[in-house]
Amino acid sequence: MAELLQALTRPLIGGDKTPGQVTEDISGLLNNRPGPLWWAGFFLALTLLMVGVIAGVYLIRTGIGTWGLNNTVGWAFDITNFVFWIGIGHAGTLISAVLFLVRQRWRTSVNRAAEAMTIFAVICAGLFPVLHMGRPWMAYWMFPYPNFRGPLWVNFRSPLVWDFFAISTYFIISLTFWYLGMMPDLATLRDRAKNKVKRFLYSIGALGWDGSYKTWLRYETVYTLLAGLATPLVLSVHTIVSWDFATSVIPGWHTTIFPPYFVAGAIFSGMAMVLTLMLVARKTMRLEDYITTRHVDAMSKLLLATGMMVGLAYATEFLTAMYSGNEYEQFVFINRALGPFAWAYWIMVGCNVLVPQFLWFRQVRQNFLAVFVLSLLVNVGMWFERFTIIVTSLHRDYLPSNWSGYTPSLVELGLLIGSFGLFFTLFLLFIRFLPVVSMNEVKGVLHIGRGGHGGHGPGGNGHGGPESVRPTPDPTTKPEEVTA
Amino acid sequence: MQEQDTALSRRDFLAISGFSVAAAGLMTGCMRPPEEMVIPYLEQSPEMQPGQAFWYSTVCRACPAGCGALVKVRDGRPIKLEGNPDHPLSRGGLCAVGQASLLGLYDEMRFNNPLLHGKRVNWAELDAQISKSLDNLAASSGTVRVMSGSVNSPTEHTAIARFLSRFVDGKHIEYDPAPASAIPAAYEITHGIRILPQYRFDRAKVIVSFGADFLGTWISPVEFTAEYSARRDPEAPEEFSWHGQYETVLSPTGARADKRLALKPSEQIAALAYLARQFGEAGIPAPSLTNELRHEMDALAHRLEKHRGESLVVCGLQDLDTQQAVSAINHHLGNEEQTVLLSSPSNQRRGNDHALAGLIEEMKAGSVDALFILEANPVYDLPDSELFAGLLQQVPLTVALTERSNETTEHMQMVAALSHPLESWSDSEPVNGLAAIQQPCIRPLGNTRSAATSFTSWNHENSSDHDLVRDRWRTMIYPASANGESFDSFWTQCLQNGYAPIRDESTSYPPWHGVRSTSQSSERKGLELVLYSKTALPEGRHSSNPMLLELPDPISKISWDNYACLPEQEARRFGVHEGDYVHLKVKGRILTLPVHIQPGQAAGTVAVALGYGRDISARFRETGPRWLEDDVNTGPNGLVGVNAAPLLELRDGLIVTHRSSVTVKIAGGHTDLAKTQEYDWLDVPEKLTPPDGGHRDLLVEGTLGDYRHDPQHFVPHPHMEGDDLWPEDHPYYGHHWGLAIDLGKCTGCSACVVSCQLENNVPVVGKDEVRRNRELHWLRIDRYYRKNNSSDTTASFQPVMCQQCDNAPCETVCPVLATVHSDEGLNQQVYNRCVGTRYCANNCPYKMRRFNWFNYPRGTEKERLALNPDVTVRSRGIMEKCTFCVQRIQEGKQRAKRENRPLRDGEIKPACQQSCSAGAIVFGDMNDPNSEIARLISSGRSYKMLEELNVRPSVHYLAAVRNSDSTGKEVHHG
Repeated sequence: MAELLQALTRPLIGGDKTPGQVTEDISGLLNNRPGPLWWAGFFLALTLLMVGVIAGVYLIRTGIGTWGLNNTVGWAFDITNFVFWIGIGHAGTLISAVLFLVRQRWRTSVNRAAEAMTIFAVICAGLFPVLHMGRPWMAYWMFPYPNFRGPLWVNFRSPLVWDFFAISTYFIISLTFWYLGMMPDLATLRDRAKNKVKRFLYSIGALGWDGSYKTWLRYETVYTLLAGLATPLVLSVHTIVSWDFATSVIPGWHTTIFPPYFVAGAIFSGMAMVLTLMLVARKTMRLEDYITTRHVDAMSKLLLATGMMVGLAYATEFLTAMYSGNEYEQFVFINRALGPFAWAYWIMVGCNVLVPQFLWFRQVRQNFLAVFVLSLLVNVGMWFERFTIIVTSLHRDYLPSNWSGYTPSLVELGLLIGSFGLFFTLFLLFIRFLPVVSMNEVKGVLHIGRGGHGGHGPGGNGHGGPESVRPTPDPTTKPEEVTA
Repeated sequence: MQEQDTALSRRDFLAISGFSVAAAGLMTGCMRPPEEMVIPYLEQSPEMQPGQAFWYSTVCRACPAGCGALVKVRDGRPIKLEGNPDHPLSRGGLCAVGQASLLGLYDEMRFNNPLLHGKRVNWAELDAQISKSLDNLAASSGTVRVMSGSVNSPTEHTAIARFLSRFVDGKHIEYDPAPASAIPAAYEITHGIRILPQYRFDRAKVIVSFGADFLGTWISPVEFTAEYSARRDPEAPEEFSWHGQYETVLSPTGARADKRLALKPSEQIAALAYLARQFGEAGIPAPSLTNELRHEMDALAHRLEKHRGESLVVCGLQDLDTQQAVSAINHHLGNEEQTVLLSSPSNQRRGNDHALAGLIEEMKAGSVDALFILEANPVYDLPDSELFAGLLQQVPLTVALTERSNETTEHMQMVAALSHPLESWSDSEPVNGLAAIQQPCIRPLGNTRSAATSFTSWNHENSSDHDLVRDRWRTMIYPASANGESFDSFWTQCLQNGYAPIRDESTSYPPWHGVRSTSQSSERKGLELVLYSKTALPEGRHSSNPMLLELPDPISKISWDNYACLPEQEARRFGVHEGDYVHLKVKGRILTLPVHIQPGQAAGTVAVALGYGRDISARFRETGPRWLEDDVNTGPNGLVGVNAAPLLELRDGLIVTHRSSVTVKIAGGHTDLAKTQEYDWLDVPEKLTPPDGGHRDLLVEGTLGDYRHDPQHFVPHPHMEGDDLWPEDHPYYGHHWGLAIDLGKCTGCSACVVSCQLENNVPVVGKDEVRRNRELHWLRIDRYYRKNNSSDTTASFQPVMCQQCDNAPCETVCPVLATVHSDEGLNQQVYNRCVGTRYCANNCPYKMRRFNWFNYPRGTEKERLALNPDVTVRSRGIMEKCTFCVQRIQEGKQRAKRENRPLRDGEIKPACQQSCSAGAIVFGDMNDPNSEIARLISSGRSYKMLEELNVRPSVHYLAAVRNSDSTGKEVHHG
């Protein structure tokens, strides 16, 4: 009993931080000059981004022919990347909204970065539907804008139009949610900024945050509401993305299992990406106290759970095909496992189903290096999942005369690389200019002032330190914490 | 000998087009030298209406078969060639080669001027030079030779004969690059007269072909296909012919056969000798046959015996004894004058290799003083090209009459630039008893002349080709053909119809002389080689035509190449795979080619197509889009394919296309052949076979026995359950267009593919794009190999175009409504609305949507004149596909409306249907209960591909029927 209690009351944040130290730690990161590691990472990311920019410009100048697509395989890397990045985004929303609503307090250390990841992943994802168009300069035709061309309108029966709405909604909500959650922290940064320019910019971002009870009250209400709004998006966005395939007539695409399968896969891949990013950030940004084994452990368990769901979906697909009595459907799955793209299929199964099984072991979950490698493999596996779904279903469909192969071109590889470049460039800029951990939320879960053991540490009982908890003067500390 | 200055300015073009339209206005009445006919534009001719197309009948000159053609002239320029439905021989069909020959008119590489030692000169200079030499020769009794391919134009023959008559020793030598010269040579022995008989496949109940690809390349495929398919209608099962094909390489003809045996040339020779002896021809030495083959031949003899007088045996082998045996078989079966017409023979292959050999001997002896080569390319076509090129240098006067530069013109002193057949007058007499006029549709684009004009002017006579044709028709045809009308009205009528039947000129039926075995057929050892012609590119003359190079072979589905076809066991024996380079060696001649493993080919053989590796094909090196990862369209030799002519043999007065003792060695290296179909079977690969079966019932085929037994249940239809997800909210009140395709008639000839390509401005994309599976054809012909017990591998063809589904999967997924349904059942593609997501193509179960991966180059300004102005030229990034030729539908509807009458069934024909010589494609209004299509789709043979998907395609397929007995099963497919 005592052990259990201890487990339940084990601090979420290490190092017996006081709120003041939290502020110091997190905002201090933004004041230091970036280290060589950051610069190295940034230049690498920028280089990858430039590869993507060159590939993209060449693509738009020359045509989709610069990809390895053909008459049979009309989508490959483009939509694979799109679904992959959208999927990555999902973990951010899950962590920030769903876990908020179900009061998983450990989320506070990672939700800011996870939300940022969502935003950047959706930006990366959003590029591909535009780039994959034969005439990307006409992309705005996807938008039902008022025009003078008579009844010319979008086709509301097309899943691509649904996609457009789903993704733009998702992006707007995610961005709003992220920004709203950041406002108190921006106010802290504003107040601490010594540089006038910085102060000005942060003050714009903080929107005149004054830290009053009233402000906090409204903030909390809106935050909860937005979390409630964002939660269905976790399910809806990838459900709609899966309809791109599920509503088609192509065997391997036309399947009702896709919505839950895609959502599980999205959370799975997103969790993996959060783990990858957080483990890197923990190391490079010295966030060891904020991201502890407990966080990694919790996320690993989520990874394991969603990985099992994905595995179940893989098995179910086979089962459905086999009892369907439909030879086309059956063939697609046999062809996936044994056909020319079997290697992609087995990478997918290996990385997504077999590799997460290691997470059953606590030793593995608590070994950061092991979790890091596992999370990378899951990312690879999830990319191949989408590739398998898209390419192996298309390349051998109904008419054997249509059967074809597919080999990516340099331009396609360049765009995939470029999307990673864009993602990491944005992420590295984010950790340099915005608080990578949500200070105001972390302060709420500090051990200080809790239980019998709380309160030892330099800050004493929450008093002292530059930003000690006082009812009114500090605009960035939540009033509730004072009463604790 | 190339010229650069060939671009046609807009101003020039307008001048020419206005001019020729004016000329067209008077064409039906009194054609005069053009200069006197210019009519001011203000007085608009009734036949000059901007945007209005006019059709003129003419003769296709792409090969000597002499099919009747109609030329579509729009705003003064010919833009399409189609078959003349009234023509008694071709009956409305026109093959791929004929259709594509239109591109030759606007070809930038044509000669626009006569050349003298490679320099541009005017005609006066050239004529002066030639006449001077000729006058000397006429005075000094010199030897003058004219060498040409088969000329079936009597006017040209007359002109050449008149020209040669000036000289003491003048001769006209004809030869064919795709020879059939053994047949006339055999008839010379067996009947004492050198003729190529006219074959009547429509009169034959039993058709037996030994190596003659009569539906694809042999002599007159369009005519033969029309005749053949007339007797392949299972609705008239008593009339249904039986067709046995005994050949080496799987040909389109063999694919359609009821019985096919893959035999080496030596086996075919032995089998025919055996057959001839079975019918009592003792003059042929007894061959040695395997028991199995003897058994097959006994059965065949029995079948032929039962159909005396209504059977037909043909053979494509260049072997004198064998052709004598064929002549004997047809004679003994009483087929002469029934299916083998000797009294009205054919002029479609006039080659005389004996004369050719004689000419080479003369040249070797240095006794030829002047050589005129008319539209022939002996340096390329003949086995010993260096020898012939060297001999040409020794002839004092050499003149080439040709449209464009070729291997031979390089060695000729002078070039008399020839007009395109669409620019000049001529005529044709493909078979005795039928004459046709070739009338021009445009004034020559360059400073060129017709052959007849040139020969006449070198004779110091001055008459235009028009006058020559008209004169000949006045003196020769008119008396034998007219029914009392005046010559002028006869002439007008002939120009309109395009042909005139000639009353029997009492050609006597030659008596039987008996065979005289030359016993020249030597012992055949080792691997045997067959040099064959491809349907898409039957001879080297068309190698400058990109559309034909891109057209996939009906059987191998490979475009832009020739290759060494090896049967699977041979490939395994040599350890080579598809695309590996090998050296083929025959008596010291070596050819390096990639391997294609060909199902259905006779064991112990290798086959190579003729007609490739022309120097001129180097021009296609960079055809198609150029980008980061592009590849050239030519092979390691810098050309498209390899010339196989060095492996031919000119032996005993015959160009022989089969050789023995061939060796195959791995050359190292590999290439990806540009195949448009990567998987060849209706059964999925064995290791991927699903539990519910790996056979796909897409191309249904059955036996005549089964069809007779139960015509209504010939094709299994899927059992559809439950309600339709789709509301029945779009009924078709007016027209509901549909297409019915008879798979039993389709020979895979691909005329429809080229016809569609020309009609709809589909660009040639180049080998590299085809290799990437990005061919842009709106209509493809799927070919699936078939194995069954009684025959060797055959194949079936299935033309697939956009199926115009009523529940179209492409329409729902387009985000911008760029593809929508019309109230007449058409699935419309709105090009300028398309943003190019390719979602529609992905969701098409038939994958018959085509994407513009690049801005495909469409040639120079002059070459673009061949584009159809009724069809948008699509740009990069948008989807396109078959529209059922919506422009023709609109035109037909407007015409009917203008004439205030309902549309007639069959009035609108899409380009594919129009070109089909087998009549396999029928377009029409499915809502009209009396239409032909309504009749066809209610047939027991009718089915829709992937009917179970409920996409409701408007294209119906009629299951193929082969003439064999009932299988006993309810339904047999494949």
